Amino acid sequence: MNGNHRRLRRAASNTMARLHSETRAVLRGLAFLSPWLVGFIAFTLVPIALSLYYSFCDYSLLQPPLYKGLTNYHLLVHDAVFWKALGNTAIYALMALPLGMLVALGVAMLLNVKIRGLTIYRTVIFLPSLVPTAASAMLWLWLFNAKLGLINVGLRAIGVANPPGWLTDVRWSMPALVLMSFWGIGNTVIIYLAGLQDVPRELYEAASIDGASTLRQIWHVTLPSISPVIFFNLIMGIIGTLQVFATPYIMTGGGPARSTYFYTMYLYDNAFSYLKMGYASAMAWIQLLIVLALTALAAWSSKKWVHYSGN
Amino acid sequence: MASFSTRVFSGLKYVVSAALIFSAAALLAFGPRAGEEVPKNCVVVDYWEKWTGEEEAAMRQIVDDFNSTVGRDKHIFVRYLSTSNIEQKTLVAAAAGVPPDVAGLYNQDIPQFGAMNSLEPLEDMAVERGITADKYKKVFWDEGHYDGHLYGLVSTAYDIALYYNKSIYSEGASALRARGLDPERAPGTIAELDEYAHTLDRIDPSGRIILAGYIPAEPGWYINYTCIWFGGSWWNDGEHKFTFTDPGVLRAYNWINSYSKRLGPKAVAEFQSGFGAIDTPTNPFLAPTVAMVQHGTFFARFIHHLKPSMDGQWAAAPFPSYDPKLRDVTYCNCDVLVIPRGSKHKHEAFEFIAFVNRQDEMEKLANLHCKISPLAKVSEGFLDHHNNPYIRVFDALAASPNAHPTEPVPILPEVNDELNDFTQRLALQQVTPEEGLRQVQERLQQKYDDFIADQLRRKAMEH
Repeated sequence: MNGNHRRLRRAASNTMARLHSETRAVLRGLAFLSPWLVGFIAFTLVPIALSLYYSFCDYSLLQPPLYKGLTNYHLLVHDAVFWKALGNTAIYALMALPLGMLVALGVAMLLNVKIRGLTIYRTVIFLPSLVPTAASAMLWLWLFNAKLGLINVGLRAIGVANPPGWLTDVRWSMPALVLMSFWGIGNTVIIYLAGLQDVPRELYEAASIDGASTLRQIWHVTLPSISPVIFFNLIMGIIGTLQVFATPYIMTGGGPARSTYFYTMYLYDNAFSYLKMGYASAMAWIQLLIVLALTALAAWSSKKWVHYSGN
Repeated sequence: MASFSTRVFSGLKYVVSAALIFSAAALLAFGPRAGEEVPKNCVVVDYWEKWTGEEEAAMRQIVDDFNSTVGRDKHIFVRYLSTSNIEQKTLVAAAAGVPPDVAGLYNQDIPQFGAMNSLEPLEDMAVERGITADKYKKVFWDEGHYDGHLYGLVSTAYDIALYYNKSIYSEGASALRARGLDPERAPGTIAELDEYAHTLDRIDPSGRIILAGYIPAEPGWYINYTCIWFGGSWWNDGEHKFTFTDPGVLRAYNWINSYSKRLGPKAVAEFQSGFGAIDTPTNPFLAPTVAMVQHGTFFARFIHHLKPSMDGQWAAAPFPSYDPKLRDVTYCNCDVLVIPRGSKHKHEAFEFIAFVNRQDEMEKLANLHCKISPLAKVSEGFLDHHNNPYIRVFDALAASPNAHPTEPVPILPEVNDELNDFTQRLALQQVTPEEGLRQVQERLQQKYDDFIADQLRRKAMEH
């Protein structure tokens, strides 16, 4: 009995010592984490929670929030500009995302070929993504200028009598912004390139011995091997294109005739120009739900087309 | 045992880390400080203003005048900060409870901020200092008011007239005379303006515009107030209703539309895409690719700075009206000084605002900004030595009973955005003036009614 009792006490004491040591380790970890944790709670978590509350309020920053239930959401459903901005964003995402991914992948494949001056080409492709957004927007503003822009001057030189009014014509303003979005594909290209360099050479050798053409090698070896990278870029692309803001805000201000007026621009205007923080918060939550839904859809579909090397 | 190089590297790591920490600490302790020395025993009034460049420097002269005279005597020191997006920064600072004592906002911010009870009413302090309506041109006194309260006093003011290029008039003199128009003067009515514009237009055989006599969208800054030259108004302040279907408003938009129809929407869009901003030599009036523009008093400064060779080659006249009997119509705009709610030094802040509104200081600032004086009394010296040679035209226009202020609507940013969108659709011939105005009326009235309903609900809950 006494022996058992002693064993039990020893075991309990050991457990306590271990717990004590683990608690200290956790506390130490939290202490190191605290600068980020405090920042995250104060500047991200609390504002997110508050924005959910404000989305049910009339709130202008200048006056205290006034609860009004689902009114903001109800007004949004009946707001023609909300639907216009949402539609523009969807069209932009549908154009810019697949095309951007395709162009970036194509460029990455070209940059993966061992040729002379490869480092220079890689640098040239990556460089534009380092240019600040405002600077590149101003640059493209001039390139797209209907009268004096380099693009239309070039088009006139090759005999196009009436080149598009890129940013002044409602039919061309959206394609112009999509075209411009390729300017910043450098980051995506680098990620693809890293993925491409990870594809085992033996797979290509085996495919080659089996008589697979280059296109078949790309389809059956390259794409499945880098599918996790494609998936990553897809998720980032969905989030990025649905939040497009700075470039159209500087270049077109949403015009002409709201043809490039995107969701985040309308959200920003509501928050900081019309002082409708509650309305803008409701818009932000709808945007979050859309992004979440699309990300979940992509994640669900990934089971069918993303192949991880461990599996 | 660690190699020599590993030990050297390890030691170097500590040395570099220590050097970095020491440098950071030294910079914190002895590094540069904000240049402005605040005198001892002074109340510091923080003043945020939107201007940069020459305009910022001009206001700094006024601040220095105050600090070295009235401020010194009354132990008040104005700390002047130039910042972009002034209205947003004031808004966020006010929400955080740390607003500046004085903010230099735009006149259109007064109804929006005033309706949300975020500005200090100034009427009592103004009366104490003898600042009353009769001291101002009526339009500028009205600009500072919303809902019966005085929320802001003007810092700088301007109004709109027609600038015309005398050289282009001379070149087209025979064509103008052939149509019975006088090349020595500005058009007197809208119909005449159209005639002048049409005569001066130069279009190439492909339909491309080389030179336009006039286009309403250049610069387009005041296009939302075009109706005032047509005897119309889109706001009924008595009934708190938008009146976009008013015949005068419809006439104005039909007129705007006529230019796009006549010259072609694509041709106008392409022509306009070659225009530079006001502060560049590619500005169409300076280029010169447009003969007549509707602009503010300050435009003369840009002409003189960017193209001195144009001095004497242009003139300004009242912008013509649709009805010849409707004379001296202008739209007036201004920058205002306000005291945001929560300011810690209201009386000291008003001391500075009152100083800026003294005739001598006001005229000094107005001349440096190349603007008019909002005060009723204007010295001959100011008019004689002003940087805009047509200052008398602008001054008389602002004093006219047909001088219009910005409409006191608390949802003005939304009004502007809706009207800008409508004007763009009109220019592209996507909508007729009737249909577009009906849509704008419906949408904005609903927004205004919702805004007022929220404010009333708020007031009811407060009581």
